[in-house]
Amino acid sequence: MQILELLLFLSLAPVLWLLWRGPTPWDRLLAYNSSSNRVVVAVCLIAVSTREPLLLDVAIGYAALSFLGVVIISRFLERGGGHR
Amino acid sequence: MTIVGFVLMGLGIAFTVIGSVGMVRFHDVYSRLQASGVSDNAGLGLILLGAVLHGGWQAHDAPLLLLLVLILLTNPIVTHSIARSAFVQQHQEGDDT
Repeated sequence: MQILELLLFLSLAPVLWLLWRGPTPWDRLLAYNSSSNRVVVAVCLIAVSTREPLLLDVAIGYAALSFLGVVIISRFLERGGGHR
Repeated sequence: MTIVGFVLMGLGIAFTVIGSVGMVRFHDVYSRLQASGVSDNAGLGLILLGAVLHGGWQAHDAPLLLLLVLILLTNPIVTHSIARSAFVQQHQEGDDT
């Protein structure tokens, strides 16, 4: 179980690199969404392996808040926000 | 049941790693959206399903199923929203590395 969590955090590294480098704002938004999804699933794996059910509520809250944030930033970019 | 859970989680990890490598390797916003939107849904859904099946049916599996439904519902919405946002702003294909 621990090696699965390690591999999941390892797969977070290229996404974070895309978040740092991404040439357009949409690349960074996509990388942010993808990294938050990976973090949510990693928190779920930690909660299952350590038998701590309280962490699942934290994961649900983080997933809902990240969805709202990404959709709102995407609507903001669609109307020409930022530098455009 | 434990072996089925581990196989599903390993398959999901493989999908996730392949998707994150593809997001870095592709050269376009829409290609990256396609790589992320397809492989994240499959990979993260398989990992959560494996985590549910891993220990049999227990009391803490209901939030896991709720989170699985939440991710499977919201990930295509986010992908579509980002793609529409890039398309409305007339972002052309292939003009970024």
